[in-house]
Amino acid sequence: MPQIFRPSANTIARIILVALLVVPFLCIGLAYAVMRSPYTTGQDVTMRQPVPFSHEHHVGELGIDCRYCHTSVEKSAFAGLPPTKTCMTCHSQIFTNAAMLAPVRESLAEHKPIHWQRVHLLPGYVYFDHSIHIAKGVGCTTCHGAVDTMPLIKQTAPLTMGWCLDCHRNPAPHLRPPSEIFSTSWKPPADQFEQSRKLMAQYLIHTEHLTDCSVCHR
Amino acid sequence: MSPVNDLNRRAALKLLGGGLALSLTSCGKPAEEIVPYVDQPERVVPGVPLRFATTLDLSGYGRGAIVTSVEGRPIKIEGNPRHPASLGATDVFAEADVLGLYDPDRSKAVRGKANVESWEAFADALRAQMDKERARGGAGLRVVSGRVTSPTLARQRAGLLKEFPQARWISYEPVADTNEREGARLAFGRPLVALPRLKDASAVVAFDSDFLGPGPAQIVNARGFAQARSAASGAEQFLRLYAIESSTTATGANADHRLTSRPELIGNAVIAIAAYLAGETPPPLAGHAARFVEAAAADLKARQGRALVLVGPSQPPEIHALAHWINSALSAPVDLIEPVDDIDPNGLTSLAADIHSGAAETLIILDANPAYDTPPRLDLAAAIHKLPFSAHLSLHRNETAALCHWHLPLSHTLESWSDRRAIDGTASIVQPLIRPLYDTRTAHDVLAMLGGALTPSSYDIVRTTWAAQGGGDFENWWRKTLHDGVIAGTRSAPVATKPQRITVAARTPTQTMVLKVAPDPSVWDGRYANNAWLQECPKPLSKEVWGNSIVLAPADAGHLDCKDGDIAEIEVGGQRVQGPARIDYGQADGVIAISLGYGRSRAGAIGNEIGFNVYPLRTAGNPWLIDNVMLRKAGPARPVPTTQHHFQIEGEVDELLPLVSLVELAKGLDRKPFKDEPKPTFYPPYVYDTYAWAMVVDTAACIGCNACVVACQAENNVAVVGPEEIEAGRDMHWLRVDTYESGPGAMRGFQPVPCMQCEHAPCEPVCPVSASVHDSEGLNVQVYNRCVGTRFCQSNCPYKVRRFNWYGYNDGQEYKNLGAPSVTAQHNPNVTVRTRGVMEKCTYCVQRISAARRDAEKENRTIADGEVVTACQSACPTRAISFGNRNDPKAAVNKKRGETHHYELLGHLGTRPRTTYLARLTSPNTALKEGGE
Repeated sequence: MPQIFRPSANTIARIILVALLVVPFLCIGLAYAVMRSPYTTGQDVTMRQPVPFSHEHHVGELGIDCRYCHTSVEKSAFAGLPPTKTCMTCHSQIFTNAAMLAPVRESLAEHKPIHWQRVHLLPGYVYFDHSIHIAKGVGCTTCHGAVDTMPLIKQTAPLTMGWCLDCHRNPAPHLRPPSEIFSTSWKPPADQFEQSRKLMAQYLIHTEHLTDCSVCHR
Repeated sequence: MSPVNDLNRRAALKLLGGGLALSLTSCGKPAEEIVPYVDQPERVVPGVPLRFATTLDLSGYGRGAIVTSVEGRPIKIEGNPRHPASLGATDVFAEADVLGLYDPDRSKAVRGKANVESWEAFADALRAQMDKERARGGAGLRVVSGRVTSPTLARQRAGLLKEFPQARWISYEPVADTNEREGARLAFGRPLVALPRLKDASAVVAFDSDFLGPGPAQIVNARGFAQARSAASGAEQFLRLYAIESSTTATGANADHRLTSRPELIGNAVIAIAAYLAGETPPPLAGHAARFVEAAAADLKARQGRALVLVGPSQPPEIHALAHWINSALSAPVDLIEPVDDIDPNGLTSLAADIHSGAAETLIILDANPAYDTPPRLDLAAAIHKLPFSAHLSLHRNETAALCHWHLPLSHTLESWSDRRAIDGTASIVQPLIRPLYDTRTAHDVLAMLGGALTPSSYDIVRTTWAAQGGGDFENWWRKTLHDGVIAGTRSAPVATKPQRITVAARTPTQTMVLKVAPDPSVWDGRYANNAWLQECPKPLSKEVWGNSIVLAPADAGHLDCKDGDIAEIEVGGQRVQGPARIDYGQADGVIAISLGYGRSRAGAIGNEIGFNVYPLRTAGNPWLIDNVMLRKAGPARPVPTTQHHFQIEGEVDELLPLVSLVELAKGLDRKPFKDEPKPTFYPPYVYDTYAWAMVVDTAACIGCNACVVACQAENNVAVVGPEEIEAGRDMHWLRVDTYESGPGAMRGFQPVPCMQCEHAPCEPVCPVSASVHDSEGLNVQVYNRCVGTRFCQSNCPYKVRRFNWYGYNDGQEYKNLGAPSVTAQHNPNVTVRTRGVMEKCTYCVQRISAARRDAEKENRTIADGEVVTACQSACPTRAISFGNRNDPKAAVNKKRGETHHYELLGHLGTRPRTTYLARLTSPNTALKEGGE
């Protein structure tokens, strides 16, 4: 009677044994990788917008303040997107015939709003509030990246809960003085450690409670 | 829910396969758009709610409200502190009005006999008809409306009657105070309205009067009642309430002494009180009733100037007249004012006669539903049907709409410009929060159309009414009036007049069955039948939901061998009504009690065929008390769903809801639950170094009105589950009001039970996925996203305050039409809408705490006391709920916690609840045994 298993069966059996140990971990690793990949987080993905609005031009080159368009960023959870009228304050005078601005002119003429694609999308159970972050020394570019260099806006941070918590556990490295909140050129100074201790006291930030679930979820 | 339960094996496998395939192919986040304004209105800041004052209507009377609107959608109604009928609080109907706005069953278009028509088509038809009427001075024109308190509507009515002198305007209300008005006419010679100032009273005797029950005066009465019963007021000032009633009411449940009595004997008790005050011999009363009345009369006399009697609508006019004399003799704290409206009790009878005789030809019905809520003996339904021209303006295509040629969609109160007077005469403007969702118009618009206007504007019509105000600066006056929500100086001045004493003969007790009808605490007279929040709101005493029942005394039920839930039949003069029986030990023998408002056939998807309709038994004579009723058993049990036995907590009633008399309170309380040893614990020591939120509920002030329950539902997106799920014990209310009895028929009191937010919470350690966690301010936070639905927390909660989403009550498996997009527009954007399989519970309105915390931190300060007001606290008419930071020694909540009669519910379990209670205070008369009988 011939042997049932050929010699190579030993190898296969060993591989299977190893795989039984390794593959679950690989799968978990893969799941984590997918979860953190830009495919899931939307990081670095550039969306197609009805008007190719360039922050690089408006912020970087012209130096328009963030709050000129995002008017409610200091008052509301939502930073605000400019109404068509805001675009037309300038564009009724300049680039009046530019083809890329046709949707803006059309919006005003027909009184139909422009439908922008949301770039920074948080899940519905996260109650993020712009105004409190602005009030507590977190600058725009800390989360939104160097918008003054972006021809089309994209999400530079992963916006995962772990990323939020990094800062909620230790906001010090990111805190700015009130005058620098809207600055696009702010870099942590060499003495950020000492500065941030002063700022933490000034802003009355108590990190011990910033990780309560009820701070962001309700 | 049935689609899931009815699945067979094949269908389940199909769905499973389909689900797997879809989940593999449909990864990726859904795209989301941001759509900014083209031209942003000036004061709109996206994400920041706006609040506007307006006025809500209940049976024609106004209650002031402040409505929160997010991104143009009104989502929450709260009271207006400046308004005398709101005093900053609400009632169930006010809270639920916002759901009525988004009701998917609302009428959306003009309808002719067969088709959808346009307002223009109606205007054409109307013009032709009105030309005909104008030629004969309006001899055939009849306008039917509810109670008219609106100064603008009254002005338009006067204008219309001037233009059409022969026309008639009929105002009627199913819940009318005809007996009260007639009684005042007997006593004073004119129909004055009596407004009790309960806060100045220290002895009150209520004769079948449910002054704490639902109605336009509930908030005012409840506030005055609670103020007069505060622990600080002392035994002499503390209001002592005697109630003599034929069925259990909220008033009887809050009384120090309650006596059950047949209606005619209640009338005799009033006669006896009058005799005692006049020093005459009272008519003979039965043993304990005699003692009761004597003790009450002695108390009234002793507290002259601070004593008053109140008589309910079911008593005949003579008894009301006598009560006016008693109050006058007692110098009672009662204001008499001229009525703010005029309801003609015979209006409907003459209307029916006019239609039947052919004198009436053109009928305009403004937001009334006579086909449902008028006595069938008038035969109005058939009469309306045969009219040559009839138009019906209403929120819904209801029973009356089905009979009329034209149905006109009415704008909701939150979409309309109008005005209303409160019970005390104070006028206020009704201001729209949103442009009409559909092509609807207001009653003012339709009246203007009767006068020939083509495109009427109720904004202009209302402004015209008030154009003389403001002393030359109308625009400023108008702006301030809209902002304040009341029109200054419009309150009716009290009339100083003396009533004459009329002699009333005592009646001999009869043995016949009588039927006592009352407005329903959930659906009022039926107009709220299609409101799912109200249908599912457990009624204050019976805890019934989704239906009404025939309430019987145990003896009467025993004669019929009728058990709880058995179908009984009532017959009066050939009209029969069937419904489930409920035995109530507080019911007088021979008295049947039924509430109005059910058995609607065309209310909408929510309200249709719920309960049974008692209107057919009513007569025009005395609508509240129907004599010579036949009662019989008609079928096997089909009980009304009730939440009575859901979420019961284990304990001795004396420790759960202790009663404390003022005498005992003065001596100091040395018993459980007020004195208890601190318990050892295995829990980690938490440090609450910022805020420590705490709530104190004063059960002495709670009248069980349910305003908090509906307010919580509106604020926190609490789902409606429907009657079948309620029967399965799956009620979703985050806040329930527990009702306790001391014995059969003896109500002990009410206890609102939100989450206790225990410091040592039993729910937290049992959660396998840490979905139930503690936060640094002491809240037991539920993380919906982590919850896997083990329900361990629910079974370990001794207070039974956790609620589980057995189905997608909010996400795909909504009850009836509650998943319609218009309903979801009501949702509070700051509260997560929970999905199937998730546990939820009261959060202490964490969204409001968070908003206050962010506001305070932006200004680098701490949250001030009173800055966070929970939804239940804001709604409470008696201010029974206090909320605040326990770490702030000056906080109002700490003052309450320091009271002698402060206690923890189930404190012996060592849970250290943050929600605590004040005991129910009583002021029994030592001359009477505890409990009155």
